[in-house]
Amino acid sequence: MRILIIEDDKDVASFIQSGLQQSGWNVDHADNGKDGLFLAATESYDALVVDRMLPAVDGLTVIRTLRASGIQTPVLVLSALGEVDDRVAGLKAGGDDYLVKPFAFSELSARLEALLRRSGEHGSTQATTVLNVADLKMDLLRRDVSRAATKIDLQPREFQLLEFLMRHAGQVVTRTMLLEGVWDYHFDPQTNVIDVHISRLRAKIDRDFDVPLLHTVRGVGYKLGGDTN
Amino acid sequence: MRLPSILRTGVFQLTMVYMALFGASVAALFIFTYWSTIGSIERQSDSVIEAEIRGLAEQYERRGLPGLVEIIRERVRRDTQGRSVYLFVDSSLRPIAGNMAYWPQELNRSSGLVSFFKINADGVQIPARARVLTVGQGYRLMVGREINELALINQDFRRALVWGIGLTMGLALAGGILMSLQAQRRIARLNRTTRQIIAGDLSRRVPTTGGRDEFEELTQNVNAMLDQIENLMAGLRHVGDSIAHDLRGPLTRLGNQLELLAAEAEPSREGLTMCAEQAEGLLATFNALLRISRVESGAYRSAFAELDLSGIVSDICELYHAAAEDERITFSSEIEPSIAVFGDRELLAQALTNLLDNAIKYTPQGGSIVVRLIQEADSACLEVADNGPGVPAKDRERVFERFARLDQSRSLPGNGLGLALVKAVAEQHGGTLEVADNSPGLIVSLKLPSKQP
Repeated sequence: MRILIIEDDKDVASFIQSGLQQSGWNVDHADNGKDGLFLAATESYDALVVDRMLPAVDGLTVIRTLRASGIQTPVLVLSALGEVDDRVAGLKAGGDDYLVKPFAFSELSARLEALLRRSGEHGSTQATTVLNVADLKMDLLRRDVSRAATKIDLQPREFQLLEFLMRHAGQVVTRTMLLEGVWDYHFDPQTNVIDVHISRLRAKIDRDFDVPLLHTVRGVGYKLGGDTN
Repeated sequence: MRLPSILRTGVFQLTMVYMALFGASVAALFIFTYWSTIGSIERQSDSVIEAEIRGLAEQYERRGLPGLVEIIRERVRRDTQGRSVYLFVDSSLRPIAGNMAYWPQELNRSSGLVSFFKINADGVQIPARARVLTVGQGYRLMVGREINELALINQDFRRALVWGIGLTMGLALAGGILMSLQAQRRIARLNRTTRQIIAGDLSRRVPTTGGRDEFEELTQNVNAMLDQIENLMAGLRHVGDSIAHDLRGPLTRLGNQLELLAAEAEPSREGLTMCAEQAEGLLATFNALLRISRVESGAYRSAFAELDLSGIVSDICELYHAAAEDERITFSSEIEPSIAVFGDRELLAQALTNLLDNAIKYTPQGGSIVVRLIQEADSACLEVADNGPGVPAKDRERVFERFARLDQSRSLPGNGLGLALVKAVAEQHGGTLEVADNSPGLIVSLKLPSKQP
């Protein structure tokens, strides 16, 4: 996997770069929009991490230009809190996800993985009506869930939560990602609100079965399913 | 060089304009007076001449040339003061009768009334006005009046005009200089104070005179503005101080722990994780601070839109319901449907989240939390009521300050920024935030205007 970071802040860039390299990624770095645009347009990357505020050419322009020239590489937009961090503007320009600085590295890596997975599954996701993780099965049309042929009753919100986890099976999802993806609110939940919903879901899908599927990843979030990379 | 600086003042320039206007109106007044007094006398005198001409022409018709000569002589004899002027000449301008020795050249120019200087036997020039009547073959009769008194009055009048305007201008100039000097002095006082303030002494105030004019009003407004700025600065400094104070503790602890870990041969994973968690907590505090100042800066206002507040409140209640139940707290909500406000969805959700975080944190097991959303006359009222320890009346204003943590809550986790953010959100939406006694417990009510502010 090859990632390009377009970020003018040297500290942030090297922090992301070393973190991703440790996880076995191949990482390039451009410290301004012009070089970044050139690299993104000429080289082949699996994902881009683009800062909004950049010298020469700003981040949103970079993304717009790439999209206009037909380059669909997934983009994670970074923005410092205190800038005009309008999420909508970032996504409208063609960004795929949005992360506000300062952020934990685990949050970035979880979101980046989700992006890569999404782009890898491109085409097949549209038609999916049934999700499977191990012996857990979700029928999106009939809106029912079963595990090892045992039907599981879920509240509507629990269903949405499980759907999100199943779509990101094998990946770490953070609490913020869950709040965004399931409840559609974009802030950091202070208390354990998400944890409580997860533990209720876990009670329904894991308690009566030998092999637990919903794992807590300490300090980061949750992961459904084993290491099926 | 005192004068040039005065000339540059706005007040003096205004004075100059007034001076010109004043001069012009005085001149207009003089001209009108002239026209209606001296002009009138002149016109009267002219009409006397006209009447005399008409009378003599009539006499000539009736009595012929000799009769006319006789009447002229009679008139000259009767005019003891010599104010009337008569001269009857033949075609070669030789005098036949009258009290003037020669025929003035000026009379040949016009057939109407003519002004000229009559030269007496002793060589004195006397201003006069006359008209000519032609009779018979080439005989001409001049009838006129001396107007030397009128001319004198005229001369006096003109002198008065010059002096009057001169004096008016002089007074206006002197007054203007005085006025602008005074205005300049007061403005200089204002400038001196503002310069001292720019130099950093915020405690300075412009001295007041106790008057009630616009300068005094300006002075008082400037002073009031300075009070406001000083208050804000003090508030800011207070915030800065408390940020420094409240972050120093955790940072010191973190530093100490890292130092200890660094001294160990094999740093424990547990210790490192703890440090990372502490750093994350600090980061969260900074983020909360940043978010508050961003809300206060009004940056979100441009994106305000009409929102379904009922929907947002239902969402967040649903999100928190489980968390409250896990703490064995009875959670209930009464939400009036379709209440709309103008605002930012995320901010309002965050505000309610903070209120619920607090409520869950302070409500003991077995307690209850009630969320209520009702439409009032011109505002939407969102209430979060709990039956926790509440807030003593004396602290109710303080809870909205940044890092305001009451003694009883020091032991609980939290950064003391939750309510400060809610307050900032309320204010940005043109609403209010209040805390009241729920006896026992606390009611926090957030009121938001229903219509676009």
